[in-house]
Amino acid sequence: MKGFFCVFISGALLCTVTSSLAHHSFAAQYDADKHVTLTGVVTKVEWTNPHARFYIDVTDDIGNIINWNLELASPNILSRNGWSRHFVVEGDEVTVEGSLARDGSRMANALRVILPDGTIAGTR
Amino acid sequence: MGGNMRYFTLTVIAFFFGCPLLAQEGQGQLEEGEYSDTFSRAGGDLVSQIPGEDIMSMPTPRLPDGAPDFSGLWVGTGPHRNVRFGLQSGEEVVLLPWAKELMDSRMSRDDPEAHCLPTGIPRIAPFPWRIVQAPLSGKATHLYFLFEGNIHSYRQIFMDGREHPEDPDPTWYGHSIGHWEGDTLVIDTVGFTGVDSFWFDFEGHPHTTQLQTIERYTRTNFGTLEKIITIIDPGAYAKPFTIQFDATLRPGWDLMEYVCNENNQDIPHIVTSPSDTDQCLGQPFADCL
Repeated sequence: MKGFFCVFISGALLCTVTSSLAHHSFAAQYDADKHVTLTGVVTKVEWTNPHARFYIDVTDDIGNIINWNLELASPNILSRNGWSRHFVVEGDEVTVEGSLARDGSRMANALRVILPDGTIAGTR
Repeated sequence: MGGNMRYFTLTVIAFFFGCPLLAQEGQGQLEEGEYSDTFSRAGGDLVSQIPGEDIMSMPTPRLPDGAPDFSGLWVGTGPHRNVRFGLQSGEEVVLLPWAKELMDSRMSRDDPEAHCLPTGIPRIAPFPWRIVQAPLSGKATHLYFLFEGNIHSYRQIFMDGREHPEDPDPTWYGHSIGHWEGDTLVIDTVGFTGVDSFWFDFEGHPHTTQLQTIERYTRTNFGTLEKIITIIDPGAYAKPFTIQFDATLRPGWDLMEYVCNENNQDIPHIVTSPSDTDQCLGQPFADCL
């Protein structure tokens, strides 16, 4: 099933060039050239403004567990794009691809979220 | 939850099928360089839900008295990133030296909008907004612009023929009086708060209490609300300039709650100045509104 979705990844990205942003400059907080792929277990979901957030515990190469803060769009916009506050729940293992915060904190803008069933929650 | 997940999954599938496809089987992760084409957050798109051209191009709806009907939910991304993106042909933004020095010194974390404060005029947040007139029938005495974001706020436009007060108390949205010129709504606003309040855009274009804005709104067809705005501020700019940012209709949408300062974690992580970053990330201005 995961392979099915992967076929369309490139096309999906092309559809997002003029996507909206938020109440602050994306570029001032995140570096679009610094990519990160994280796999971890969801510890919390905040369906709040100005950005929905979810947090995952990621285990590094030497066994340390690091909690990452992952930013989404705002709930009003997410809802209009078919998302729900239950898109993940605590305990789900997910993979997140995104852009790192410029200040080096364990924070990233989530560009795509690969859900437990293999569904890719894309950029829309 | 099951129903929500099914809806979510169907939406994702529908979106992927609706996009132009460049099939690259086996590509499980984003490749180097793909990020440079996008600056969205997951789930943050408002553009792909613009109605089709067949709907957008339908005639301008009208009220029983023949006046154009401006009601509906609009998304106007306005001068959000940079007022210069909307400059009309032959127009230019010429800052006075002190204003340019101020703009160049600004840090993005100090943008009042990032602190969940109102946008002022001409800026508008990239969230839906609605025009409501009162009374609902007959000649309007008031218009209200109801904003979903950047905060739940509104503008009040007096249509009853009154003039501006001689010495209005300064406010973030100013004192607005409106009238019709044919099918175009013209709004004249003065009485703004000063340089320490709203910025025009992410770039930090400043204004002073001398700011006056003249907005001209025309619903050119069913789905388009043309917005042409002249900025007059001799306190900060050497000459007036005119910008255009059109809004597009979202039929069937309703306003939703957006309490910006509910969980605003961003400020301490915003570390650059506007001049440090390309707000368009390399895209042409036209694709970056």
